[in-house]
Amino acid sequence: MTTPSTIGRGTTIRGSIRGDGDLELHGYVEGTVTLGGDLQISETALVKSDVSAKRVFVRGAVAGNISATEIIILEPGARVVGDVGAPQIGIRPGALVRGNVATGAPLPPRPVHVAAPAAAQAQRGRPAVAAPAARTSAPAARAPVHVTPGRPVHAAPSRPVAPPPVARPVIARPPPAPHPVAPPPPEPEPEPEPEAELEAEAEPMMEEEPAATEEALEAGASEDSSSPPPPVVPAVPKGAKAQVRRGRGGK
Amino acid sequence: MAGTIIGSGITIEGEITSDEEVVVSGTVRGKLSVDGGVTVESGAVVEADVAAGTLSVGGHVTGNVSASDRVDLLAGGRLVGDVKAARLTIADGASFKGNVDMDV
Repeated sequence: MTTPSTIGRGTTIRGSIRGDGDLELHGYVEGTVTLGGDLQISETALVKSDVSAKRVFVRGAVAGNISATEIIILEPGARVVGDVGAPQIGIRPGALVRGNVATGAPLPPRPVHVAAPAAAQAQRGRPAVAAPAARTSAPAARAPVHVTPGRPVHAAPSRPVAPPPVARPVIARPPPAPHPVAPPPPEPEPEPEPEAELEAEAEPMMEEEPAATEEALEAGASEDSSSPPPPVVPAVPKGAKAQVRRGRGGK
Repeated sequence: MAGTIIGSGITIEGEITSDEEVVVSGTVRGKLSVDGGVTVESGAVVEADVAAGTLSVGGHVTGNVSASDRVDLLAGGRLVGDVKAARLTIADGASFKGNVDMDV
């Protein structure tokens, strides 16, 4: 019924590709790709878009999220920067991935993604004062986020919406980073959280790390530097913490 | 073998540029710029401005068309839009509505 489709090496598409057939990509695609059939992304292909299909086989470069209703296979030579979600995922030796990988269900639809940056932005502007109080409640606040099974991938980016994490990044983020996906050398991190959560956390790390760092620096410069706690924050005079707390309590 | 084939199950909305042959059996909306040949198969729908080396239309094309070499409107083909090309053939059984500019 449907003829096999190919986007050749010399072809560039800016826009959306939809359909229920199979597609082979050898060229450049910027936009979105949504297929009901199989999608093959070859060595020469460069895809800068979110991709979803029944089955996806990647040998080329993809900058965007990949979602499949059946299976995703990242072959040797694949370079993926983005989230990967499908009931079955295969990553062959030689494939590179930078992003959150989740088996179980296809990635949730986009909107969640869009909302997150805005929230993060708003968060950035928020006064640091709110942080410590919130920090205590942080674990509780985080829990629901990770529980939701339907949206494992984007749960993390949306996390900044809750006030607590503002200060948290300084504390909590650096450790999980090295964990599942990020390239830097792994440091054993005795965080008692389930693996799923670590995974979820890994992705925002990469995307938001600069922001977090900025925040940390800012915080370091301001009075708040003292308040945020323990492990990672560099030398904080012992009295300072209490002092700040007192000061804040007064407010 | 054609470089790019847009199969009958596929819809592309946006801009397609290519320097190799493009065969359209599906649906294309937007813009199609190709250095080589473009073939619009019977059953295909192209709602786009098309610029190509050669264009062969067996399906439905709506939009302005320019070809550096030639445009062939095949039997069963339908073209609505202006055509600018050095050579133009319209087969018996084709439908065409638009202006023709052949660089006279």
